[in-house]
Amino acid sequence: MMTYATAVAADELILDARGITKRFGGFVALNKVDLAVRPGERLGLIGPNGSGKSTLTNCLCGALKTDGGSISFAGRAIDNLSSYQRARLGLGRSFQLPRPFHSLSLLDNLRIPLVYAVNARGGTHLTEQQIRSRSSDLLGEFGLGAKLHRLPGDLTQVEMRKLELARAMATDPTLLVSDEALAGLSHSEVDEILALLLALNKRGVAVIFIEHIMRAVMAFSERLAVLVAGEKIADGAPKEVIADERVIGAYLGQ
Amino acid sequence: MSNGRFIALACLVGAALVGASMFVTNEYYVFAAYFVLQYVVLATAWNILGGYVGYVNFGTTAFLAIGLYSAAALNKWLDLPIPVLIPIAGLLCGAVGLAMGYLTIRLRGVYFTIATLALSVVVQTFITNWEYVGGSRGLYVMRPSEIPVFGSYVAYLFFLMTVLAVAAVVTARVIERSTFGFGLAAIRDDETAAAASGVPVLRLKLIAAAVSGTFMGMAGAPLPFYLTYVEPTSSFSLAYTVNSVAMPLVGGTTSWLGPVIGAVLLGTMQQAMTVLISSSVNLLVVGVLLVIFVIAAPNGILGLIRSMGGKKADPEANPLAAMLVAEKRSSQ
Repeated sequence: MMTYATAVAADELILDARGITKRFGGFVALNKVDLAVRPGERLGLIGPNGSGKSTLTNCLCGALKTDGGSISFAGRAIDNLSSYQRARLGLGRSFQLPRPFHSLSLLDNLRIPLVYAVNARGGTHLTEQQIRSRSSDLLGEFGLGAKLHRLPGDLTQVEMRKLELARAMATDPTLLVSDEALAGLSHSEVDEILALLLALNKRGVAVIFIEHIMRAVMAFSERLAVLVAGEKIADGAPKEVIADERVIGAYLGQ
Repeated sequence: MSNGRFIALACLVGAALVGASMFVTNEYYVFAAYFVLQYVVLATAWNILGGYVGYVNFGTTAFLAIGLYSAAALNKWLDLPIPVLIPIAGLLCGAVGLAMGYLTIRLRGVYFTIATLALSVVVQTFITNWEYVGGSRGLYVMRPSEIPVFGSYVAYLFFLMTVLAVAAVVTARVIERSTFGFGLAAIRDDETAAAASGVPVLRLKLIAAAVSGTFMGMAGAPLPFYLTYVEPTSSFSLAYTVNSVAMPLVGGTTSWLGPVIGAVLLGTMQQAMTVLISSSVNLLVVGVLLVIFVIAAPNGILGLIRSMGGKKADPEANPLAAMLVAEKRSSQ
């Protein structure tokens, strides 16, 4: 197994998760998974259905409690922090199935992270005017500028994905965990969202990119990790990883 | 409208109601109006947790009865005036709301609702066995027949309930437009996503439960003086619970105005029916209306008005419907 976490000094990492274990009853969903991310890095995370990708996301972001291991984010142990505290520290996430606040307008969907994550972070305090301009700017970047006052129910699938990403970005994260942002999208839509993610990364946001569409994974990732049945079986340069026998075996069956 | 202007307007409406009550010669109307205003408070309070956060509380009677019995007991013990009893009952019920919230609000959907129903049973059992307030025999509350300024005691109680109703509506309106209110709406729509956006879900839910409980308790404090005789069976009447759920749902749960519309409409209707037909038809009619609205107009009367303006109905904004999909959601 290629070990990455040990290759880089721990203090250079934005995320350093070690030995993450999660059990559901007798089922081991994650077995001692290590995952490290450098600031500004683009990490692809792949694995067959049910391999534990979303469980790992939930453990990293605090939606699930882990049964073992430790997670540190930006040099701080976050194991005992709940999800909202992790969001405030700059650990953002988008959900696999978009989960918009369906009774709030698009603008107000972004208001929530702005007032609850960014404003609660200390330091800057956004005024009402800044909240409005920030959220409309962000929605504009994601091509939703014409629908600021609409409800999420009025959006198409692609637009809903964009809203999901825009809301995650509104928390002003230093690491974004993007859980299958592209599932079910057409070829051109995939390119569109991919371009958005790359643009976010250019601004210095590290991204954990969980995805099934290999074309997108290979285009996006600087590094690739593979989860199979709750264990990380590979972690390294994308080209080497997809040539790895165990990875091929896991995907094609042996 | 700014909060300041809304408060001024609400006080004006309250003053007009109190003023009008002084000129009414038939005291029954003031008596009936008190009943309606009490439901404005209860429905508004229920809606702060039920409508804004989507937690369906079936324990209104518990809070109301705690307010009622704490006032009755303190009155018997120390002979305190009602304006002092109201905040005490409010504090007590706010604390109960907080405690109930702390114990049960991690439960989603229907489990929370069942827990609140259980709270009613626990409180009723306690009161029924509390000898000081008469246990199951009940307790008479003496009230002076005349009171300065207001003349009749019923007019005085009506004044107090008007103040409470104005306070409850203003609180609901202020919450609705505040950062706190946006946080509650986010929790109602999707708790996991709200937490991922930095919303301290548990804390906000607890505050909402405490505020909701406080107003329910305060509404109960003048009730022993209104009834002059309190006993557990009628104090824990299912009507309070059913009404405080039905009124916001019929009016519309996403805005402060919904519970007010629902309470005035259903409250007045029930008073009229009690007089004209029979008091036992009340709950039947409320139940039928509730079913009709949940199915045909999930966003209540406000939703119907909005849909005339071209806005789509949002069935998930209905707390009863949302309660059922919450289970499905959380397993994703």
